[in-house]
Amino acid sequence: MRPGRRRAALLALLCLSPVFVASVARAQTEGDARLGRLDSVARRSVGAIVDSARAAKLPTEPLVDKALEGAKKGAEGDRIVMAVRALSAELRSARAALGPDAGADEITSGANALHAGFQARDLTRLRAAGQHAGRRGVTLPLTVATDLVARSVPAPTALSIVLSLTRSGVRDADLSVFQRNVRLDIERGADPSTAAQTRARGAMLRAGRSS
Amino acid sequence: MMRHDPERAIERAAAELRRPVRFGSAFDERVMAEVRGLPRHRLGAWRRLLRPRTITVSPLFSGLAAALLFAAAISTGHAIGTAGSDTASGAEALATAVTPSKGPHDVQFVLVAPTARKVSVVGDFNDWDSAHQAYQAEHRGGGVWSVTASVPVGHHRYSFVVDDSVWVTDPTAPRVIDDDYGRPNSALVVGETGR
Repeated sequence: MRPGRRRAALLALLCLSPVFVASVARAQTEGDARLGRLDSVARRSVGAIVDSARAAKLPTEPLVDKALEGAKKGAEGDRIVMAVRALSAELRSARAALGPDAGADEITSGANALHAGFQARDLTRLRAAGQHAGRRGVTLPLTVATDLVARSVPAPTALSIVLSLTRSGVRDADLSVFQRNVRLDIERGADPSTAAQTRARGAMLRAGRSS
Repeated sequence: MMRHDPERAIERAAAELRRPVRFGSAFDERVMAEVRGLPRHRLGAWRRLLRPRTITVSPLFSGLAAALLFAAAISTGHAIGTAGSDTASGAEALATAVTPSKGPHDVQFVLVAPTARKVSVVGDFNDWDSAHQAYQAEHRGGGVWSVTASVPVGHHRYSFVVDDSVWVTDPTAPRVIDDDYGRPNSALVVGETGR
């Protein structure tokens, strides 16, 4: 190649390379087209949080989903960013508490449980109980525990109940029935803690008979 | 006199070199036959590919190549951004039968809303899009609205939207305490995660 041409080619590449690098970075940060529903400031902030979570090998879909939910509900951009940032922290804590082999759904339901008022050590205990009982994961126990707290059962009581159910080897289908029965009892006017404890005893009896 | 001798010698050599060399008409054929007769290199094709070459590239072509790289990077960036979308795996529907399957499950959503004119389901499985056609509930009579839709395995959050304005949690489903935006959601676990 003649020196003149080589210089021109190098010049062209040098001119375009910053654009190229910036475009790759931008594409990774704002790569999810769904985030286009957010204003530009919120989109950049959420994109950065998502990139950071991706680098930490955390599930990123719940973060995008949280942002989309906020956009659909008409929340302001800064509120959306705040919610996404809080969820990102909860996902990190949940993953640390549940262990590196926890699945995306377990981490997500663990983050919801932390948001509901459970402690990180509660998640660790529940995961250990699940593994001891031969469960593949504790997504459903975590979801049921969160539901109990949402229905005014104190977190320590809810944890104790769900730990007992998990250790007893209660199956997912029976856990679903337990959740439904507690809900119906509370809707009929029962005290939430009493309803949960009573229904848990019944579920454990059934699990003991079937095992 | 001695100074001119080398110049004469050079002129004689140049004149000799300028004189055209005559080859016979069969010379080319003989040379090519000799070349064809040489043993082939073991890595002939690879050698051609690996041999360093000087390639002339015009500034216009290098600009076009850079533009193509730029376009490829953009499309790759989008792929990275969306690659993690389908990460849901292994869960079990709270309200449906246990089916150990990795694929999406049909889930029935039911809401009793006697005064409603329109009911739709929004959640992370449809990007919270209340206009999504597959999640529009139909009025079955007596105030009962329902829709059966395909939901990927995994843990989900969702809600009903009544008349495009009122957000209603599913009264039969577990609740999620995530009122970041002032309206709580319901939880749904689809697929098999436990036992």
